[in-house]
Amino acid sequence: MFSFVIRRLAVAIPTLLVLVIISFILMYAAPGGPFNSERPLPPEVLANIEAKYGLDQPFWAQIANYVWGVVTSFDFGPSFQYKDRSVNDIIAQGFPVTLTYGFWSFVVAVTVGVSLGVAAAIRQNSWLDYLAVGISVGAQVLPNFVMAPILVLTFTLWLGWLPGGGWNGGQWQNLVMPVIALSTSYMASIARITRSSMLEVLNTNFIRTARAKGLPMRRVIWRHAMKPAMLPVLSYLGPAFVGMITGSVVIDVFFSTGGIGQFFVNSAFNRDYSVIMGITILVGALTIFFNLVVDVLYAWIDPKIRY
Amino acid sequence: MFPNRAAVEGVGDAAQLAEIKGRSLWADARTRFFRNKAAVVSLIMLGLIGAFALFGQFFAQYDKGFVDFSLIGSNANKGVPSIENGHYFGTDSNGRDLYARVVQGTGISLMVGIVGAMVAVIVGTLYGATAGYFGGRIDGAMMRIVDVLMSIPFMFVLILMLVIFGRSIFMLFLGIGLISWLDMARIARGQTLTIKNKEFVEVAVATGVRPIKIILRHIVPNLLGIVIVYATLLVPSMIIFESFISFLGLGVQEPNTSLGALINEGARTMQFGYYWQIAYPLFFFVVTIFAFFFVGDGLRDALDPKDR
Amino acid sequence: MSLLEIEDLSVTFTTADGDVNAVNGVTFNIDKGETLAIVGESGSGKSQTAFAAMGLLAKNGRAAGIARFDGQNLLAMSQREFNKIRSKDMAMIFQDPMTSLNPYLRVSDQMAEVLMLHDGISKKDAITKAVQMLDAVRIPDARARVTMYPHEFSGGMRQRIMIAMSLLCQPRLLIADEPTTALDVTVQAQIMQLLADIRQDFGTAVILITHDLGIVAGFCDRTLVMYGGQIMEEGPTDDIFAQPSHPYTSGLLKAVPRLDKDEATLATIAGEPPDMSHLPPGCPFSPRCAQLLDNCRAERPMLETTGNRRRACHLPVQEDA
Repeated sequence: MFSFVIRRLAVAIPTLLVLVIISFILMYAAPGGPFNSERPLPPEVLANIEAKYGLDQPFWAQIANYVWGVVTSFDFGPSFQYKDRSVNDIIAQGFPVTLTYGFWSFVVAVTVGVSLGVAAAIRQNSWLDYLAVGISVGAQVLPNFVMAPILVLTFTLWLGWLPGGGWNGGQWQNLVMPVIALSTSYMASIARITRSSMLEVLNTNFIRTARAKGLPMRRVIWRHAMKPAMLPVLSYLGPAFVGMITGSVVIDVFFSTGGIGQFFVNSAFNRDYSVIMGITILVGALTIFFNLVVDVLYAWIDPKIRY
Repeated sequence: MFPNRAAVEGVGDAAQLAEIKGRSLWADARTRFFRNKAAVVSLIMLGLIGAFALFGQFFAQYDKGFVDFSLIGSNANKGVPSIENGHYFGTDSNGRDLYARVVQGTGISLMVGIVGAMVAVIVGTLYGATAGYFGGRIDGAMMRIVDVLMSIPFMFVLILMLVIFGRSIFMLFLGIGLISWLDMARIARGQTLTIKNKEFVEVAVATGVRPIKIILRHIVPNLLGIVIVYATLLVPSMIIFESFISFLGLGVQEPNTSLGALINEGARTMQFGYYWQIAYPLFFFVVTIFAFFFVGDGLRDALDPKDR
Repeated sequence: MSLLEIEDLSVTFTTADGDVNAVNGVTFNIDKGETLAIVGESGSGKSQTAFAAMGLLAKNGRAAGIARFDGQNLLAMSQREFNKIRSKDMAMIFQDPMTSLNPYLRVSDQMAEVLMLHDGISKKDAITKAVQMLDAVRIPDARARVTMYPHEFSGGMRQRIMIAMSLLCQPRLLIADEPTTALDVTVQAQIMQLLADIRQDFGTAVILITHDLGIVAGFCDRTLVMYGGQIMEEGPTDDIFAQPSHPYTSGLLKAVPRLDKDEATLATIAGEPPDMSHLPPGCPFSPRCAQLLDNCRAERPMLETTGNRRRACHLPVQEDA
């Protein structure tokens, strides 16, 4: 198992480096960017950048400098917008928020999606099955930026139950709508994948063997069918994670939750390159790490690809 | 949506029938497609939406840029949708005719979707076909690159690009297309691996045809069925992508607009009671996406029955 | 009282193309310690008969009639009661050992759960017993290999594991559905030998379902021939082999390759196996029968008993020529 993880890391680290370098080159090449000083920057900011990158140095020295900072101390440098804040300060402020509702969205999407999918598969062609299929088809057209206004329209403007935005230290009232908006379409996809893979597994010979043993259906499903049925779901979790972390930008903007997404979009409007890069790299690192976890889980479940 | 045994068996029968009567594969697929009611209804819906986007402007009473100052400021009671004053869908918070704006937004969203899907399909098919055709180490390296790129959250990189190179529709096309070719490449490669062992390819290789020519003449045409299916399924994803970015205000810029941008505007103003301003774009968005998904599904059933 | 009595058993599958009758009114029984072969081509309904008795029919299948085990009708039982019998009193092994074991669980877990469920013993004791049983089916180094996963065993070994697993609770009846079909010829012989030994050692009654008459001869007391979901002929194996009284049985026997006869070509039965959703109104075998009579196509022959044999055929019984 250890060598398996090491081999995966050997792929993950270069991927991350490529991401860092591409981002830096893009920023370097940007017309009107900080490195060709077409835009007047506040003197304090300029001084910060100067100190960090050494603008008089050649390109290679600058990129090496930046990568070294990121790799050794997660230092993404100073902001181009705010004179007294570094990218790390901004991430430290926004990331816990994103992490909180992101975590809950993920938990909701996986637990509800899997339960719905399994229930639909066991009770095939029952009302529950039709409901699950209906939801998963319908949710294809309900991405987060569609769900969010619909939720606010319903629960804030119409029913008046929930606040239309804000974070408020992560009170549950403020969590409900972001979590639902972010998780719905992934929940639906997970339900669909779970249903079809569970149906497939329930038709296999080894499930017939398990039933011939006299195991109650509940045990057959939990002990024998669950693991193999979860494999396709597990493969989907990587893309789902990317989708959700991307969707968090919409959530932050729409609900003013104050997560990194809000800073990301603000920086995009203000051309605060270092913040954009910092967040892009952070998100990339998270994704790569998450995919690594998924791979390890996959290997743990499936004995045939172990080690 | 889900594999239906009866449908699959029916397809098998139809395929046999086709062989007997010598009908072409395409005619056969057409028969199968038109048997699928949801897909046919969706196709009609798509036709209507396309017509709306193309010709809707001729029925608009106001230009999309015209600001109706007689309504501005009292939008909540005077800007409501009405046939009488010619604002079929009402006006937006700036006093512009929402009907004309939705026509424009639908058109741009469809265009971005279709062009983006085309970019993705062309790049993906050629890449995948090349990797699959050459196989071995070249294939390994090329697909490894796809794997690596797939694990990067590209929306962030795209936004970075939009910021750096300016927010233009062209950048949007390019960026979205470049993100989305990865899946297509995988699919095309998988298909190529089976096609390249067929006799007609072996004959071409044996007679010394150049690889590029084999890929373009023999492999790609045989990928056409699956390419069409995935292109149809890609269009709605592209529209969702575009709407996502436009929703954030980073995509299509004023005075142009798209469904995502309109939904964004509607979402901002719905708290003042202008519900129609979000309802109309949302309706066109949802119907368009639904229709594309069902048509894509119908095409998949018709062209790629083994897959299900 | 027989161990298992099947009375007028029918199995129907609901499909999109209408109902398919896989088994049509089958009646037979098997006594304690007896071995019965059910022989027929694929699609003859022999496996579905067994699945119906084990309650393992696919979701769209329904069983009608009576399947009495030890006097209790299995088909009228609740799932809960049925689960107490399955594997405990009657067990089944399947055609394809490569896919019949759960690839995601260790052999030890898969075997132990049977004992833990039915005998309520601890996992440790259950694994000890499982190892003994693996020894009994001649898995070398069973103690070390019991914690392996199924894919680490060969096909023959996996079928041995399946057999060991089915025998853990010492059931009174073992249904073996084509246990050797997916295996190499040499392995086939070993598995059949193993089954014979087990029958001797444990006194287990065995129903052997097969299309291969070659393995029936040395193994089974009685043979039952099925075609088109119906019983064609039944009797003591030796008698059936010596004197087949049904044209289908004769055809099957001629199709068995024999070493003691020098034949250039092997006889086959002309025609296709029947389409179970559109059986002919008369004898199901009539479209392929070489000795067709006038009423064969119109009238379904009754299953008639003479002595210790039963047959369903309009053709008069031929005396030895």
